[in-house]
Amino acid sequence: MRLKRRCKYYLFLIVALILGSSYGTPTEVPDSHARDLPLPANLRFNSYPDPAISFDSSTAALRFFRAGNLILLKAKADTTEGYFILDTGAPYLILNMTYFRDYPSISFSEDGEQGGITGAVTAYAPTKLEKFSLGPFHYHNIHADRINLGHIESVKGVKIFGLLGLQLFKKFEMIIDYETNTIYLHLISKKEAKTYKSEMLKDATSHYILPFVIQEHKMMVKATFGTKSLTFIIDTGAESNVIDSRLPNSILEAITVSRRVTLRGNGGAGVEALYGDISDLKIGDIPLGKLPVLVTNLEKMCSAYNTSCLDGMLGFDFLSQHKIGFNFVNRKMYIWK
Amino acid sequence: MEMSWARHTSIWFRKGSIILLLLILGGFAQLNAQVQTCKIKDGKIIIELSRQLDKEAIDIFVDKYDLYDLPLKEVLQGKLIDSLKKLGWVIERSLPDLLVISKKLSGYEKAYNPADRILMTDIGRSTAERFPAVSNAVVYGYNRFRNKNSFSLVDSTVTFYLRNNLNASQVFLAGSFNDWKPGRLAMQRTDSGWIARVKLAPGKYWYKFIIDGRWTIDTDNQLTENDGQGNINSVYYRPNCVFVLRGNEKRNRVFVYGSFNRWRPRELEMIRKDDAWILPMYLLEGTHTYRFYSEGFSFTDPDNPDRFPNEFNDYNSVVRIGKPYLFRLEGFQDAQKVMLIGSFNGWRNYELKMVKKNGGWEIMYNLGPGNYEYKYIIDGREVSDPANAQQKNIPGHSGNSFFVLKPNYTFRLKGFENAKSVFLAGDFNNWSPNTFTMKKEGGEWVLQVHLMPGKRLYKFVVDGKWILDPANKLWEENEHGTGNSVLWVE
Repeated sequence: MRLKRRCKYYLFLIVALILGSSYGTPTEVPDSHARDLPLPANLRFNSYPDPAISFDSSTAALRFFRAGNLILLKAKADTTEGYFILDTGAPYLILNMTYFRDYPSISFSEDGEQGGITGAVTAYAPTKLEKFSLGPFHYHNIHADRINLGHIESVKGVKIFGLLGLQLFKKFEMIIDYETNTIYLHLISKKEAKTYKSEMLKDATSHYILPFVIQEHKMMVKATFGTKSLTFIIDTGAESNVIDSRLPNSILEAITVSRRVTLRGNGGAGVEALYGDISDLKIGDIPLGKLPVLVTNLEKMCSAYNTSCLDGMLGFDFLSQHKIGFNFVNRKMYIWK
Repeated sequence: MEMSWARHTSIWFRKGSIILLLLILGGFAQLNAQVQTCKIKDGKIIIELSRQLDKEAIDIFVDKYDLYDLPLKEVLQGKLIDSLKKLGWVIERSLPDLLVISKKLSGYEKAYNPADRILMTDIGRSTAERFPAVSNAVVYGYNRFRNKNSFSLVDSTVTFYLRNNLNASQVFLAGSFNDWKPGRLAMQRTDSGWIARVKLAPGKYWYKFIIDGRWTIDTDNQLTENDGQGNINSVYYRPNCVFVLRGNEKRNRVFVYGSFNRWRPRELEMIRKDDAWILPMYLLEGTHTYRFYSEGFSFTDPDNPDRFPNEFNDYNSVVRIGKPYLFRLEGFQDAQKVMLIGSFNGWRNYELKMVKKNGGWEIMYNLGPGNYEYKYIIDGREVSDPANAQQKNIPGHSGNSFFVLKPNYTFRLKGFENAKSVFLAGDFNNWSPNTFTMKKEGGEWVLQVHLMPGKRLYKFVVDGKWILDPANKLWEENEHGTGNSVLWVE
């Protein structure tokens, strides 16, 4: 049974590779590039099946609300409606335990198969919603973890019902416009997979196109500093860009420190970090100019929900500089000029 | 002759070398005199400071890099080195003219919860963001305009002013004070722009101009805020006090600082106007202490006789906003000294000296709405207020007295009829398990308190046992694994 599934998986991979190589743009890097990216060995996620998606309209412009620099989108989890944080740094849907405590916990076997309802609450208390709606899109029988997100609520002073992680957008094109507080979403059908592009992208000169990689539910992009190559996670849940203080001095010395900061959060009590600007960082051929960064030691940030133990994260300070878009199907990032 | 020339040359070369060396050394000394850097190397914060820096330069450096917890002035003089080391700092180099200290960036110890990752990157950056958009808890605020003066304020009437735009046919003012209704408040044309008068209570307001149907922020106002829904609005603080320092015309810059801005000396710069330095400000209702700061020196307000002693055997000037309350302790006529301490003044025991009056001891103190604890110190002995039945319940001890000003929420716990005592504990009273006594009314325990808007966490303590609110479905995990009830206050 397991062998059969594995065969199917490899077959899928081969087909995906063939399909993937059949289209591209001059700026694109082959998909094999993705496999060169380092990924820490200790990352373990629950592996949830992709939920079925139905829709009232395949395209939507959703107005978002901001708490600081976080994007909050209104969504409905079964009967509970409220704001969720758009968080590409999270693997899948995560619910705030405070508002979903009554849901039964579901256990999973190691290969990701559902093992049924148990009375025991695991660390992240996985559960399942019958229906989760974001604008006109409806996810059915969607799995989610439940975690206490109380600290974010307390700091932001806003009710947070959960995090909209990467899995929810796997089949979408997403364009974020911070200026108008709007997210444009399009559910890409199988037929459109190769060809779909938003009307906003019709003028090919208006934007850059860059590849990104998704591994273990993380969006990663390659950056360069001089001859050095760096891997960053694209994280809409990060209000600042972050860079690891363990990087070589040649990179750290390019950072003009503007002030010291004390990190927040449960794990950050009294932890000092530096905030400043880094120059000469590039993504693809695009120089990022003076990019604000938070410099901290990311050594212990490797865990299922926090894979920031790569070289850093690109968050709001990067994402909000221009209109920005992601095609999660063919893994391209669009940065408006 | 040649020899002599050679010797001369050699002597001159030698002299020249010495002069050059002196020049170089002098140059280094000069360089070191100006060294003040904060950088990152080998995963460490590195601070390099010249020992010749004057007080003001150090203050500027501390303010720029937010290093208020480091005793840098003392450390540069070779003092308080142990305090610095206790904070995890290492002396890298200690030269007669230069000090280099470092601290390893340690990062998070754990990050299992995605909230950690999200909050890690929330570093609260701009001044505007220090004043939260939706909160009654704004402690202070001040206006910053360019190209025009701040809006004039006469009695409670603020004159909003839009410069130029004289070609416009109609201009309206809309803001949080008129529910953003676009056509409600027409502005009047003047010879230099447009004005509208609005009666406002002290506080923080958001506004925009609508020029011929086009919504625009006030471009002369440097304070703007994103309202979280895609709109940038101008911010205006209707002041309720003006700090004034007369004379001092030779000073280049003067700042006011105090308990309201956590004593950050270089944040609130005063403006030179006529023969004084002034700064109109909004301050939260209550009693605040302050001083002026200029060119490395800190001093009290020479024109304000109202002042409290401070911890440096000096004084802080006092500004009082809102309603004064009389604290009165009856009797104790033989006492030599009676002090008031409380949560409202950070329990500072040297600050509030009471005056013997009419058979008791008295002090007036201004307070805004809130929940407060206090005590008296009679000749060094702490006692609760004998006239106030509400006090912290500590068997055999004198607990803190407490009171609630302008309560806005009532907690109710049904049942527990046989309980001997029920207390309310939460983040609004520092989780004190024995201060907020609930009263039995019919079949329930009741207590009225004042709560700030936002998320509040609480529990009941029934006969010493902490319980979640059985009537509230919302609770979240806490560090003890026992949970706290969650309440959202609008």
